[in-house]
Amino acid sequence: MIENIAASRCPDCAWVVAPPARICPRHPVEMTPTEVSGYGSVLSYTTLTVAPAGFKPPLHIAVVELPSGARIFCHGKETRALKIGRRVAIEQVDGIFYFANLGIADRVSLFWKRRGAAPERTREAIKSAVKRFFSTYKNGGNAQSAENGAALNGEEKDPRPGAKR
Amino acid sequence: MRDVWIAAAAMTRFGRRSEKLEDLMADAALDALREADCQPDSLVVTAMGPEEFVGEGNFASHIATYLGLSQIPAVRVETASSSGAAALYAGFAQIASGLRNYVLVVGGEKMTHVSTPRVSEIISRVIDPHERSYGATMPALAGIVARAALAKGLITETDMARVAVKNHSNGARNPYAHFQRPVTLEGVMSSRMIADPLRLQHCCPISDGAAAVLLTSHPTGLKLAGMGQGSDYLAVRYRASLTGSRATQDAAKAAYKMAGFGPERVQVAEIHDAFAPFEILALEDTGLFPPGKAAKAVQNGELTLEGRLPVNPSGGLKARGHALAATGLAQVVELVWQLTGHALGRQVNARVGLAHSIGGMATNNWVTLVEQVA
Repeated sequence: MIENIAASRCPDCAWVVAPPARICPRHPVEMTPTEVSGYGSVLSYTTLTVAPAGFKPPLHIAVVELPSGARIFCHGKETRALKIGRRVAIEQVDGIFYFANLGIADRVSLFWKRRGAAPERTREAIKSAVKRFFSTYKNGGNAQSAENGAALNGEEKDPRPGAKR
Repeated sequence: MRDVWIAAAAMTRFGRRSEKLEDLMADAALDALREADCQPDSLVVTAMGPEEFVGEGNFASHIATYLGLSQIPAVRVETASSSGAAALYAGFAQIASGLRNYVLVVGGEKMTHVSTPRVSEIISRVIDPHERSYGATMPALAGIVARAALAKGLITETDMARVAVKNHSNGARNPYAHFQRPVTLEGVMSSRMIADPLRLQHCCPISDGAAAVLLTSHPTGLKLAGMGQGSDYLAVRYRASLTGSRATQDAAKAAYKMAGFGPERVQVAEIHDAFAPFEILALEDTGLFPPGKAAKAVQNGELTLEGRLPVNPSGGLKARGHALAATGLAQVVELVWQLTGHALGRQVNARVGLAHSIGGMATNNWVTLVEQVA
């Protein structure tokens, strides 16, 4: 199951950025809200062995380019098998982007890597896990087949706008 | 536009300093004023985060008063880690426009008394909020850039280590450097991983220090031949390229255009090697080497003190150290010493020098050209 990610599009140059920005970073024009499909290819990544306050090392960070051309930063379980150009799914847990298609256990463990307001975040994590469980059930268990993001069959829904950087 | 000349240049030793920030800046400023034996009619002050690091505000007036210069106009300039270069530009503009005749530009930073995690957190505020919310620190973004450069074949892990070895070798000959000791290739490549593929010995230290440059409209023989600025999006994810810096490319073009000559005349360069791979990428973005050729130059030893184009004779940010707002000025101080034969122990033969300074994650970059005319 591919999630949608909130983004914004420039009415003048059609550039799409995520998360949404009020004004197009290219020129002073108000952007309009849009959504983009939550999958794409890895542009680059790193693993921090020294993580800033609020994060637990090792912290995996990747930059992923979505089909619209928008790029986001995201976390992931690990970067060991990751390659530049690899296609990954983006999932949101508690408003945070993660790359790769993660099982329930992965999502919960990733969630706990970000410390914060526990009760509210726990509710979000359970909601996310329940959503994942039912989508798995509805699709006859096929949601897990995209376990390594490369298996995502997303080429046909690649509505790249004419305007690119 | 009037020509702008350098009347004097001075700096403190970079490193762990016990002195107050005000005293480090005063040491550099008074050395420069004594050398030129004149009174400035304008003061440009720079420090990247004195509010956070030392708890002082209204910083231009604070330093002006501390230096006994409260009777002349004083402003503070700030563009993150390139603040020193930006302050120099503000002074340059005052002279070039005819507004002032002697401008003292002084920059400093004092950080080592603050815990390293706290310093990292303060410095991380130069990063885009979305990217920072994913734990992106300066080493993290540099790791992402380095990973992309490795994948493109622009650099190898050994090249990155070679840069650190060369710059430490130069720093070992510089009494003003933070690290005055050599490192080995094996030592760099086995040092602790920080932000894969960047290791501890690929990263510049947290340094204290100050530097000052006195600019004048009166010819001194040492000309500030060109200065250029280049910008890029605060967000790394908005950029056309992760490895090429538009900000450096635009800054270099503007500086060469103003100077009326190109990279072929540059004989020594101070490059912003906050992370070792940046030196290689910047050598191509500044036009000093054609695309894809800088790594080869590192391998062939062309960038050593004896090489075709000595790069970072001071030791660079890696070994001389990185005292944030002082760094852009310290680079120009090194060029002045190199062009006037005062770089004892690490002297190269050059008449034209280039300094390259990166602000934030390459959002506000500067290229400065200094020429020995007389």
